[in-house]
Amino acid sequence: MNFEKLRELLETEAKSEGLEHYEIYYTSSEGLNAETLEHEISSFSSGVSAGVSFRCVWKGSMGNAATELFEENELRSLVRRAKANAEVIENGEQAIIFGGSEKYATVAESVAQMPQVSDIKKLALSIEEQIYGESELVTEGTQSGVFAESSRVELANSKGLRLSNKLFVAGAYAQAVVNREGEAQEAFDFAMGLDETDALASKSVSDAIAKLGASEIPSGKYNIILDGKQMRAMLSAFSGVFSGKNAMLGLSLLSGKEGERVAADCVTLVDDPLKTENGVATAFDGEGVATYKKNVIENGTLKTLLYDLAYAQKAGKESTANGQRASYAQQVNIAPFSFYIKGGELSDSELLAKMGDGIYVTELKGLHAGANSVTGDFSIESAGFAVKGGKLAGAVKGFTVAGNFFRMLEQIQAVAKDVKFGMPSGFTVYGSPDVLLGEMSVAGK
Amino acid sequence: MIKQQILEEALAVAMSTGGDFAEVYAENTKNNSIQLVDGKIDKIVDNTYSGVGIRVFLGTKTVYATTTDMTREGIVACAKNAADIMGELKRTVNVILTPMGVKNNHPVLIDPITADVRNRIAILKDACFAAKEYDEKISQVQGTLLGVDHAILVANSEGLFKQDRHVRTRIVVNSVASAAGENQSGGCSPGRGMGLEMFDKFNPREIGIHASKQALVNLGAGYCPAGQMTVAIENGFGGVIFHEACGHSLEATQVGVGMSEMCGKLGQIIANPKVTAIDDGTIAGAWGSVNIDDEGNPTQRNVLIENGVLKSYMIDRLGSRRMGMAMTGNSRRQGYSYEPTSRMTNTFIDNGPDKNEDIIASIEYGLYAKEMGGGSVNPLTGAFNFAVREGYIVRNGKICEAVRGASLIGTGSQILKDIDMVGQNLDCGQGMCGSSSGSIPTDVGQPLIRVKKITVGGR
Repeated sequence: MNFEKLRELLETEAKSEGLEHYEIYYTSSEGLNAETLEHEISSFSSGVSAGVSFRCVWKGSMGNAATELFEENELRSLVRRAKANAEVIENGEQAIIFGGSEKYATVAESVAQMPQVSDIKKLALSIEEQIYGESELVTEGTQSGVFAESSRVELANSKGLRLSNKLFVAGAYAQAVVNREGEAQEAFDFAMGLDETDALASKSVSDAIAKLGASEIPSGKYNIILDGKQMRAMLSAFSGVFSGKNAMLGLSLLSGKEGERVAADCVTLVDDPLKTENGVATAFDGEGVATYKKNVIENGTLKTLLYDLAYAQKAGKESTANGQRASYAQQVNIAPFSFYIKGGELSDSELLAKMGDGIYVTELKGLHAGANSVTGDFSIESAGFAVKGGKLAGAVKGFTVAGNFFRMLEQIQAVAKDVKFGMPSGFTVYGSPDVLLGEMSVAGK
Repeated sequence: MIKQQILEEALAVAMSTGGDFAEVYAENTKNNSIQLVDGKIDKIVDNTYSGVGIRVFLGTKTVYATTTDMTREGIVACAKNAADIMGELKRTVNVILTPMGVKNNHPVLIDPITADVRNRIAILKDACFAAKEYDEKISQVQGTLLGVDHAILVANSEGLFKQDRHVRTRIVVNSVASAAGENQSGGCSPGRGMGLEMFDKFNPREIGIHASKQALVNLGAGYCPAGQMTVAIENGFGGVIFHEACGHSLEATQVGVGMSEMCGKLGQIIANPKVTAIDDGTIAGAWGSVNIDDEGNPTQRNVLIENGVLKSYMIDRLGSRRMGMAMTGNSRRQGYSYEPTSRMTNTFIDNGPDKNEDIIASIEYGLYAKEMGGGSVNPLTGAFNFAVREGYIVRNGKICEAVRGASLIGTGSQILKDIDMVGQNLDCGQGMCGSSSGSIPTDVGQPLIRVKKITVGGR
């Protein structure tokens, strides 16, 4: 069933249920993914999917239901379920079906074509071959992969708003496993796009080899630099604290701090839904509000939290167009888009020199469990390199770095120039340069 | 869900280019959660997931194709897509399916999705209001009552054709305690592979009070000191230590490709002789139980480690081909969009020889981890981490002041040897385990155990 037919059916059902205000959010996608093992394509997956959600205002509240099953009975029940769900909502949020923004930014729709299956296989195999070619230490378990996904979003509502977007994301990854005298280590690296995969093999192999022979360090206070990958993972773990909803519900310690200093001067945190380089740019959020680039923290001052329509209304503000819906299955949820710490002046090596002695942390593990966004506390298994006199001086592992996210933001001493972005998940991508945190608690041997 | 004739046609098409095995998996999952925050019902998530995943094998190579188009044309096109990617051979294959019954070991009395929404809301509010009213320092309570009805179908080119339904129910309550500009949290989240009858066993009010008590303990606690110490880890979700430190490293996903520190160690002593560990997907009504796994094999009780000796891995069909060993009923996936792989079900360390009071009394100075949070592991190196949600310092054999913000890190092979006392109050806790085949419900469990030395992250 195509979108137009689906829309007509849902609209007819909505009218017969006496619903005046409603919205249809549809997403579909098509993807390919190849993975290698031992010089062969070990698994290849190919998927097509589509789903639709229907939300409506009934008795002043918003109800929602979603499905992937495009059968007439299911679609009719979808409308009735959304209406029934609205009946029990008590949150007092103003239920808003949005009439549209005055102006939407122009985001060039992706014109990229899905690559051929044979090209994807070929590229994946060539990356694996390059990995094995990098060093004799490379061993079994080494893999590479290539993926491509194109997706479409359609939003249509009872106020006559019609918006659509087409996205294309592709990339490749390398996982190098090395073994030296029985000690195994691995490293993972990825590249967005299928044209810039040349450095993947050498980077993943050199990273894995660098981890070999790591030593343990005694507990104590150490100066810490988090590399861009780890700092963006930290941003991801704590991104909920920037939600206006969480702040209002007392679940974020940034509550009431808009306009106040919450971070060091060198910290500017940007949310840019229109950034095309990450493959997930969008001119509208999940409620149809026009998106725009904004500084959430500017030179240390919290300029704004993130809002959707309902919580902006509760807070007496405008929506920041962060009512995101990563897919039809997700309800409107306040979340950032391309969310990154702006780069500073120093190169990565100049930042090491500025620290002098300390630890350069290149791995943080278990952030989903070891970081608590309500309290800001974290205590995270880490690995990286000792730094002596501004130079890397051997791998270190088996320690934790502990602290508090909010204190950490205030204590950041410097940020490097080069912002490293991660892989997108839904419309969200995190990015950060290397960041000099200053002194942190480390638990080791 | 899908007619037998269409399944047979799809399997024949899937095999037509040279694959040596093909499988169709289909699901129709109803997912319903009621979410409460600030004392009010905030959101109802009411989603239907429906789709097909078709897998073709040639030796240890696999192709996996998925679609949400459940029409005959959609399913056959999906099979053709998989076949075209697999090979270029052209041949005709006939597949004849034999429908097989599945014995239901987990009957559901009160359906958690179709039960009157007012009754479900009453359960959630009982829990959350009890949490909020417990103490005036409790500033916020969030709660979710989740019901999942997961209907699956598995058919394969060997003629297997089974359908099953897994129903589960869970309540999650998180409390925040606040004082002097500081927040601390506590939680409680029991779940079962059953319907709302789980609340005959769990009083919702007690669940709420448990969450708030924990938040208050943490609010009053100082930071945990850092360093190596002796740690006693309590039962229930404490079993996450085995799940992370060892369980993942025993999955064929890792072992079959040489990516586990447990490779080649069958029959060897890998743990203290007091440690016996089991993965059992058959426990009636347990959170991680299923009648059949996602390849159609019945789940079973697998003794992984017996008195310290490694006895078994957890093996799915692909792992079985890679390792030349039998499947163990551990193939699992979140849904049709994930290719299945070997996963845990209900995994626990069995009761041991030590009295619980002796374990605490034996610790001169250390940490008592009363409740654990989640964690993660790198199966290649065995390096793991997990968070302590509620912990206390032990001094001279007595549990003393509470400490917060602790984590435990180590390596799997080492901690298995360092577990030197195993108590007798085996109990399980519930978690959602994330891995390459998605997020699935698993139980973790153990009695109180003592780890003689482990790195405690704190400050």
